Amino acid sequence: MKIFDVPLTWFEKFASKWESDGVKFSVYTFIAILIGGLFELIPPFFLSQTVVPITTVQPFTPLELAGRDIYQKEGCNNCHTQMIRPFKWEVDRFDPQKAYGTDGYSKAGESQYEHPFLWGSKRTGPDLAHESQIQPSAQWHKDHLIDPRKISGPGSIMPAYPWLFEKDATLDAASIQNHMEGLMVVGVPYTKSDLDSVPTSIQGKTEGDALVAYLLRLGKDSAELSKSIK
Amino acid sequence: MSTSTKYNDWIVKGFIISAIIWGLASMLVGVWIAFQLVYPELNFNLPYFSFGRLRPLHTNAAIFGFALSIIFATAYYMIQRLTKIRIWSDKLAGIHFVLYNLTIALAAITLPLGMNQSKEYAELEWPLDILIVIWFVIFIVNFFATIAFREEKQMYAAIWFYIASFVTVPLLFVVNNLAIPVGLTKSYSIYAGVYDANIQWWYGHNAVAFVLTTPFLGLMYYFFPKHINQPIYSHRLSIIHFWSLIFVYIWAGPHHLLYSPIPDWLQTTGMVFSIMLWMPSWGGMLNGFLTLTQAKEKIKTDAILKMMLVGITFYGMSTFEGPLLSIRTISSLGHNTDWIVGHVHSGTLGWVGMMSFAAIYYMVPRLWNTNLYSEKLANTHFWLATLGILLYIVSMWVSGITEGSMWRAVDEKGFLLYPNWVAITEVLKPFRFFRGVAGVLYFAGLVTLVYNVIKTIQTAGSGFQAVDLRVKEGASK
Repeated sequence: MKIFDVPLTWFEKFASKWESDGVKFSVYTFIAILIGGLFELIPPFFLSQTVVPITTVQPFTPLELAGRDIYQKEGCNNCHTQMIRPFKWEVDRFDPQKAYGTDGYSKAGESQYEHPFLWGSKRTGPDLAHESQIQPSAQWHKDHLIDPRKISGPGSIMPAYPWLFEKDATLDAASIQNHMEGLMVVGVPYTKSDLDSVPTSIQGKTEGDALVAYLLRLGKDSAELSKSIK
Repeated sequence: MSTSTKYNDWIVKGFIISAIIWGLASMLVGVWIAFQLVYPELNFNLPYFSFGRLRPLHTNAAIFGFALSIIFATAYYMIQRLTKIRIWSDKLAGIHFVLYNLTIALAAITLPLGMNQSKEYAELEWPLDILIVIWFVIFIVNFFATIAFREEKQMYAAIWFYIASFVTVPLLFVVNNLAIPVGLTKSYSIYAGVYDANIQWWYGHNAVAFVLTTPFLGLMYYFFPKHINQPIYSHRLSIIHFWSLIFVYIWAGPHHLLYSPIPDWLQTTGMVFSIMLWMPSWGGMLNGFLTLTQAKEKIKTDAILKMMLVGITFYGMSTFEGPLLSIRTISSLGHNTDWIVGHVHSGTLGWVGMMSFAAIYYMVPRLWNTNLYSEKLANTHFWLATLGILLYIVSMWVSGITEGSMWRAVDEKGFLLYPNWVAITEVLKPFRFFRGVAGVLYFAGLVTLVYNVIKTIQTAGSGFQAVDLRVKEGASK
């Protein structure tokens, strides 16, 4: 194993000098961990192909944004992914109506305004990226959130969320406006009139209604693009 | 044997106790939510106890409560003994201890209330993130100052691995948690979509690397040779695998995003580096195993050695499984399934847990200057934990591969064989039930540790006697 011995001995000698120099050792360690990070994190921001914008994708409405906040608060992303992979079996399952033509998988442009991304990493329940095209009924979603086992059958293991639809689960216009202003700072193109529309759009809605509105928005914009091409 | 005047052992004792408390909490919540996936009514119809809110509590308490407490306990213990000086500032160490436990306690309150950033292993909201940065800076100043004023010129391998962790974690943590606050308990990541995903998994994967791997390799490099009173097998191997491990690990993040909309070149880079990571990982495993050969006779009787053997074995197992799962074809089957949950737990319960328990059993008698209350009970703990891990990963392998196969199964015409999601869930229930049982076994093991440690501390000051574990001259090979 002479062929390995020469470079290994050289490196051992080379690196052993740092073992008695705490500053050098720490700096070289930092450089070693920095290289991979710089290579993978920086270029995507400057490559035009990283995110191809989808023209029909728009920011969430105030009610949908409030619903997304609930989705985050309840941690729905711990069991539901929002990322459909480009496999036939996956596209068939999560685009049964063929609303996206031949490519019903997730695309970068769909999550352009998603701060943070909610793709998830565990699919205990079904994927929701294109939920609007799978189950378009608001009443179904409401009933299902209130009692999943009544709607999906006794085998469902989803928690019930009846409290989201109780009368006191109301939405606060000022805080939603605040959230939209925060998102404007990080680049979501909300306008003054969007902010002004908040009180009317959430009038009489519960947290549960907002969540349902959000679910019915998922995948809607990109489906519209497919429809316009047809 | 008492070294309490020379070294600050109070801080080590404090972090051992906080590790035990957060360990109990995280594992109890883990068992609870494991059974929620079989019996959903176990959330008692309360928002605070639903799976989506408790799962982040489980992971945060386990990683940042239990594992990090062990890291701090062992770092304070090891760095004083390897530099041959007392920790630079007792005061800073005390502040670190108080602020750290305050943060974890606040996490245990805010996460069930639904205050989270929705980024895995980075769920805590911005005020807690700021608190974390404060005590982390306090800790690193103290740690590096101790190294700067050290009396022993040579920095032993164990120190390298802790240094790697303490220079990398702040960078990962700050970059990934950058967010715009929109209230005291709510913020939005400054990154969106694809960019956010890329940065999140650079962070997420390297939290595994620099919180759950490198400090525990440092732990192995210190406590293992100390316990058997023999040097580490190969110094050269430790140099080679240290530098290759930290250089390669940081690239592997995108394997969490295979087949996602992130750029293809990024996915391939992540996959290639993940496969390369296999060798540096096994370098550490081999050095551990080869060191063990110097005390192999004692493995039948010594609980600490058994735990280290199983811990290193699981390290080797999960660092083989990881590269395997990073290959596109295998990821297509395993991604999003219970297999991944099993993989993570073979690393956390098997490697992190076992090495932590071994370190606790090693340190407690020395710190309280007494002998372990019951070696037999420690052996019981070893078996409960080992059986628990095995049952856990086997049930998750079966569950995950079943699940992944059912998702993709089609009939001869190409139609999905299992279009009904709940029907798939029902098939997985028995395996998920046994996963919960596995958790109970592992938790029961931890309870025996708690009892053993309490009984040991009750005899504090009775005089510690080290057991010589070296292979005797002329002993049968």
